[in-house]
Amino acid sequence: MERGYRIRSKPLYDPLIWEEHATDHVVIAYAEGGIGVLKLFQQMTPKEPIKVLFADDEHAQRSYHDIISKLVDEGLQILDDKEGVLSAVSATLDECVMGTQFYIAGNEDFIWAASQILKSAGVDDKNIMKEQCGSLARPVYCVHCKTIDPEVHHNVYTCPGCGRHLFVRDHFSRRLGAYMGLMVDAEEPGNIPDVEEIYP
Amino acid sequence: MSVLNVTVANVEQITDVVKRFTFVQENGEALPKFSGGSHVVVSMNINGRTHRNPYSLMSSPANTESYQIAVRRQDNSRGGSVFMHEQVKPGTKLTITYPVNLFAINRLGKKHILVAGGIGITPFMSQIADLNRLGADYELHYAYRSAEHAAFRQELEALCGDRVHFYVEDDGSRIDFGDLLSHQPLGTHAYVCGPEPMVKLMLLTAKHLGWPSNHVHSEQFSAPPIGDEFTVILTESEKEIVVPGDMSMLEAMEEAGVDAPFLCRGGACGRCELEVVETDGALLHHDHYLSDAEKTAGNKILPCVSRAKCTRLVVNL
Amino acid sequence: MNMAFKKETFRDDYTFTNSPEAIRRFPFPFDKDEYMYSVNIEQHTKGVPGSVFENVIDLDEHYVAECEDRRITLEQDPDRCIALPHMMDAQWDMLELGMESLAQDFPEHFQLTKDGDKWHWINKPLGIDHTFIFGDLSTLPMEPFEFIGRQLQGDWVVMDQRDDDLFADMGIVTSQADWSLAFDAGMSFKEWHGPVPQANEMGIFERALKYLLHLQYGSPVRRLNWTMTVNPRLDTSPENYPVWGPDNVSVTADNVADKVFLRVELQTLFRLPRSNAMAFGIRGYLISVRDIATYPRWAKRLHRVMTNLHPDLSEYKGLTNYRQLVIDWLAPMDDGADIGEGTHPE
Repeated sequence: MERGYRIRSKPLYDPLIWEEHATDHVVIAYAEGGIGVLKLFQQMTPKEPIKVLFADDEHAQRSYHDIISKLVDEGLQILDDKEGVLSAVSATLDECVMGTQFYIAGNEDFIWAASQILKSAGVDDKNIMKEQCGSLARPVYCVHCKTIDPEVHHNVYTCPGCGRHLFVRDHFSRRLGAYMGLMVDAEEPGNIPDVEEIYP
Repeated sequence: MSVLNVTVANVEQITDVVKRFTFVQENGEALPKFSGGSHVVVSMNINGRTHRNPYSLMSSPANTESYQIAVRRQDNSRGGSVFMHEQVKPGTKLTITYPVNLFAINRLGKKHILVAGGIGITPFMSQIADLNRLGADYELHYAYRSAEHAAFRQELEALCGDRVHFYVEDDGSRIDFGDLLSHQPLGTHAYVCGPEPMVKLMLLTAKHLGWPSNHVHSEQFSAPPIGDEFTVILTESEKEIVVPGDMSMLEAMEEAGVDAPFLCRGGACGRCELEVVETDGALLHHDHYLSDAEKTAGNKILPCVSRAKCTRLVVNL
Repeated sequence: MNMAFKKETFRDDYTFTNSPEAIRRFPFPFDKDEYMYSVNIEQHTKGVPGSVFENVIDLDEHYVAECEDRRITLEQDPDRCIALPHMMDAQWDMLELGMESLAQDFPEHFQLTKDGDKWHWINKPLGIDHTFIFGDLSTLPMEPFEFIGRQLQGDWVVMDQRDDDLFADMGIVTSQADWSLAFDAGMSFKEWHGPVPQANEMGIFERALKYLLHLQYGSPVRRLNWTMTVNPRLDTSPENYPVWGPDNVSVTADNVADKVFLRVELQTLFRLPRSNAMAFGIRGYLISVRDIATYPRWAKRLHRVMTNLHPDLSEYKGLTNYRQLVIDWLAPMDDGADIGEGTHPE
C-alpha cells in the first residue's frame, strides 16, 4: 500500500492526562502499564477522589507496585495479577457515577479486556483514556476458527486454535478487542512469507 | 421529499397558549410508523407564502392512526404558531413531511434522564411511550411556569407513574441540575428540550460534572428571526434573490424556484448547510448545528434560520 | 413477472448459470471507461420494468437457490447472522420491510395478511406458511431478523444511529465480498469501511455518512458497487478463505472467460421507522466474463475499466492474480471506438 494510507479501525493511543472536569478518577493498569500510572502522577494530582487498580506481571523482571505505593496514598489497590485487576474493575463499577473518568494503561490485550468490562456498564470506549505501555504485542482473532491469541509478536503466527498460519492485519474490532488474523497461505498452501517480530 | 397529506381531526386547547392538534391521513390510511423523539415539518400557506415549521410528534409511536403535535402560541414571531392557533380547525387540510428523528434515545443507555421545560415536553411524550414499551429505566423532570401552564400533567402522571417530577417556577421550584446530574449511574444518558437558558444550563452543568458530551442530548428548533433585507447570489444556479426581512433565506430561495435541500427547518440538523463564498457584511447565525468555531470562520450558513446583515451574500448552490 | 426459480448451486459443482433474460437485466456498473469511487447515490424509486430497480427488493430466478446456499452457510457458521441486544426494534422493522415489500411486489409468490398484530405470512417458493404475533418473539421459530433474512436474497446489515454515526450492530451476511460480519459487527461507519483504500483519502465516507444520517423514512436510496470473483461462489467470506482462496490462482487463459465473474452489488439504504436504524441491503449479481461479452459494448467497457484500474483498488478487490488474463481475453473485442457514457448493453 502506498504511503499516507491508514486503516481507520486501528486504535491510536495517547498518554494519560487527568480529565479536569471529572468528579472521580479510576486508573486501571497492569504490568508495564505501571509506567503510565507513574507518568500520570508526575502531573499535578487532581483534588477529586482517585482510585488506582494495579497489578505487576508476576513473570516480569520489572516491578512497579513499590513505587506506585509510595506515590499514591489513598485509593490504591494492588492486585495479584491481570485477572485480579479485571475483577477489581467489575467490583468498583457499581459505586461509580456519571462523571467518573476511567484511565487504562497496559498492553493492547489488557486495554481492551478492561474496556470491555467498562462497556458492559455503559461506558463508551471513546470516553476512556488509554495508553499503550510496554510490549506492542497484539491480541489477534483468527477469522477462521475464532480463537483469540492475546499476545502475537510476529507478522505471521500459528493459530493456537486451528494451527493455520495467519497474517496479522491492521483491521481492529473493539467488540472483540482484537486484530484480524487471516490465513496467509490459503491461495498457495505452504507459501509462507518471512516471519518477523514486528510487535516486540 | 415525500410529503403526507393530512386532515386536522381534532384541536384541543390545553392551556391558554398551547393547543394540541390531531392529524389523520387524508386517504384514510394509517400514517407512517416513527420512533420516539421524531418531528414533522408542517407546511402552512399564510397570505400566499409557504411557511414550514417543525413540531415534535407527541402521540405514541404505537398508534399511527393519527399523529399529534402541540403548538405554543408565539405572538411576537413570524406567524406560524398564530396561524396554527387561529386558522387551523378540525377539517383543515395540511401537508407534513415524513417523520425525522434528530432526538432519538440512545439504545445502549442504562438509564435515561429526560428534562423538559414548558412546550419542550412534546418530544418526550413519544419517547416515553417507547421507553415504557422497552422497559427502560428513566426519569422525567418537567419544569413549567405556573399551575395553569401545566400542559399534559395528568397524562404524564398516567404515562410515567412515579418516574415523573414536576417543577413549578411560580412556586419557587427549580430543577437543581447539579444535584440531578451528580449521582447518576454509569451509562446514563441525559436529554433536554426547552427554553435556551435551560438547555444551556444543563449542558454546562453536565460538562462541569464530567459527563462525556455523547451522553448529553438536546433538541432546539429555532424559528427564523425577522431581520433586514439582503440579496443572496447563487453561484451554481446563477441566480440573484432578494431575501425580504420577514422571510428566511431558505424560504426566499424556494419562492424563487430553487430546489434547496432541507430537513428540520429549525437549525438543528445541518441538512441545508451552504458554503459561503463571500459577503460584504456579517453572517447572523441562529442555528444550533454549527460549532462556535465554524460560526466564527464564517464560511458556512444554515439558510433555514440564519441570515446576513449585508447587501450581498454569495453562496455555493 | 413469470419466474422459474432455478435449481443450481453456488459451491462444489457450481451449476449456477444466467438465463438470457438475466444477462440482459444485469446491473452493469460501468458508465465510463475509468472507474474510481464516488458517492454515486440516487433515490431508490421504482425503475424500468424488468430491471433490477423495478421493485423495492429485487427477486430473480436465483431466489430459491440463493436461500438454500444461505441455509447451508448458516448451518456451518451461525455467526453469519448477528443481532446485538439493543437491535430488537430494528429486527421487527426489517421483518416488516421484507414481508411488506415482497408481498406487494410479487403477490403471486408471497402473501401477507394482517389482523391487527396477528400476521399471516405465506412464502410459496420456499414453502413457508406461518402465523405469528408482530412484536411477540415467542410466536416465531427464530428471531425476526434471521427469520426474514433467510427469505431474502442478498446480505443485510442494519446500522444503529447514535453519536452522529452509524454502527453495524446487526447483519445477515453469507454472500459477501471478503468481509467478516463476526469481526466487523459493532463497528462505526468509518471503522467498518476502514480497509477500503483511496476512498478515505477522498473524503467519500465523511460525505456519505453525513448524507445517510439524514436519510428519511419513505425515501430510500441506492448505489452500485462491484468486484470480481472466481467461480460463482456466494460465500467468499474471510472465514472460508482457506476454501476459496486456492481458486484465485486457478485462472488460466483458457478458463478465464468462464471462471471469472463480475460481481455487482445493488446497495440499498432504508431508514427503518420504529428503531430509527438504517437498513443496508447488499444484493449481489454474478455474471461470467463470457456472458458479459454477449453484448460487445459491455466487453469494450469492461476491457477499458480493467486496463485503467488503480493498482490499490485492484489489490483491494483481490483481482491482481487474474486481471491481466481478463484484459487479454477481452482485448480482441475492443476496437477502441468511442462508446460514450452509460451502462446500457446496446
